[in-house]
Amino acid sequence: MKRIVILLLLVFLGMIALCQTGRAEEISKPEQRRLFRDGAKLWPVYCAQCHNARPGSEFAPYQWDAIMMHMRTQANLPARNARAVLEYLKGSH
Amino acid sequence: MRYVLITILVLAIMVDSRVAGAADSSELQQIKSEIRRIKADEERERQRDEKLIGDLEQKVEKLETQNRQIQQSGEKLHNQTSQQLHQLQEQVSTGPSPGQFGRYFADYLGTHQFTLTGAVGGDFIYDRQTATNTFALDFEPIILYRVTDWLLFEGTIEANLPAGDSAEFQLPVATAQIFLNDYMEIQAGIFDQPFGDFYEDQSPFWVNRFVTTPLPYNVEALVPPTDVGVQLRGGAQWGDLGQDVDYTFWVSNGPSFASEGPVPVVGQAINGVNNIKLQTNGQGYGTRIRFYPFPLDSNFGRLDVGASTLNGKWLNGNWYNAWGLDFAYLRGPLQARGEWIQMYRQMPNSNSDNRQGWYFQVGYFLNQLPIPGMPEMVQNFIHRLEPLVRYSGVNQRAIVSDEISTVPEIGFSGSPSIWTPHSREVALGLDYWLAPSIVWQNEVDLELPEAGGTVFTFAGNPVPMVTPRGATPNDVAVLSQLAIGF
Repeated sequence: MKRIVILLLLVFLGMIALCQTGRAEEISKPEQRRLFRDGAKLWPVYCAQCHNARPGSEFAPYQWDAIMMHMRTQANLPARNARAVLEYLKGSH
Repeated sequence: MRYVLITILVLAIMVDSRVAGAADSSELQQIKSEIRRIKADEERERQRDEKLIGDLEQKVEKLETQNRQIQQSGEKLHNQTSQQLHQLQEQVSTGPSPGQFGRYFADYLGTHQFTLTGAVGGDFIYDRQTATNTFALDFEPIILYRVTDWLLFEGTIEANLPAGDSAEFQLPVATAQIFLNDYMEIQAGIFDQPFGDFYEDQSPFWVNRFVTTPLPYNVEALVPPTDVGVQLRGGAQWGDLGQDVDYTFWVSNGPSFASEGPVPVVGQAINGVNNIKLQTNGQGYGTRIRFYPFPLDSNFGRLDVGASTLNGKWLNGNWYNAWGLDFAYLRGPLQARGEWIQMYRQMPNSNSDNRQGWYFQVGYFLNQLPIPGMPEMVQNFIHRLEPLVRYSGVNQRAIVSDEISTVPEIGFSGSPSIWTPHSREVALGLDYWLAPSIVWQNEVDLELPEAGGTVFTFAGNPVPMVTPRGATPNDVAVLSQLAIGF
């Protein structure tokens, strides 16, 4: 039992360490434009799968950061597509 | 003046010499001396005047120099001011974009940020069979605490007004969400059950198109609404834009059942959550896979098909197994979704507890309906409407009468018909959308129970009284709800 707990702990710590890599990267302008374009396509579809799509003006950009993390979890959105929707929502604020 | 005097003197001498005829030499000398003196005075005055003129010229020159210096410094200051003004104008004209301003503002607010979202619902509920006419209220704020771009805490507090005079508070969701990479995320805490589509994605008041929940997720739920444990989840795009697949695996406390009676019997209600496990020697294990076959550009609409399982020991050595299939489809104003759930519970005695539940619903938003010739006000009203219909049902062999409550609440009409072993319901809905997240929902529930099944009544006895359930009269419930998502 102890071995299992230690193993799980090590795996968990390894995952945490893994998640620290590649964070907070600056998005280049062309990539930003691509994200915005894809986000404009995905926003009405991803959102409307469960509820009406809410316009970017309803929340401040920093609030969209938190809300999109929440929505990425709720709907298991692919990370890059979640970033695209976020870029669109913040860009259309 | 001096020249005039000299001239007069010379003329006088000449006149005198003409009149007298002869001049005395001493007088001439005296006159000459006087002339020299006058000349000397004149010379001194001239020198003094020249000196004064020289001094004045120096002063003028000095003043002119000072004036030039002042002019030069003035020009310099003018140039500097113009340059600074130009720089300021450039800075103003090339100021931060809205995006940059947003980032600056976010930086100003700090990295630890709270966001408040959630929903509130106010209902009017009428049920014919129980002669119920009541208002109801529920408030569910969601607090999001974003620590970094890979760590989020989420807490949902549910406050409602049950029968009586007090308020009731619950904690249906409190999780930490750790984003490991683009494809993996850990969620730990108490969470909406990821089984099927309803608990996670459809339960908020303004998201659920109906006021009530479909029967398999209602008071006779087949799967616990929330669970305590750890999830590993994520999603990926496998093809073109819109072609996604996602997964959720979780380990949790698993299900537990109502324990009003002294012995477990078939048909007991499942508990909303299993906080601290008692009398179980295993965890609950769940899996959910969802697949989106169509790309966005295909014009086939948006379809997802999903499958879920939840397995665990609900009592020492006794299994609980549930699996389900679900779909959701969206194309323009049309939206449809449905689900089938099968549940098996191993009982301590030889009998097993098998249940099935399902629902299918479809809605059509009238916002794209052409209405020629109608006044604009009428068109605007009709374009905000969304008619809906849903059919749902639950099959189970028995119910426990001690667990039956017909007290209505948000999401539940209070109709006793839906407690029958074979409950069926047709729900007709008409939503009026005031805003994307504000809706006035109206619903008529036609309860269609089938006769049959068994009723267990403990009434404080260790052995339940078993009676066959007779025909349950059909019931009608009417609900109206204003739901606001914020």
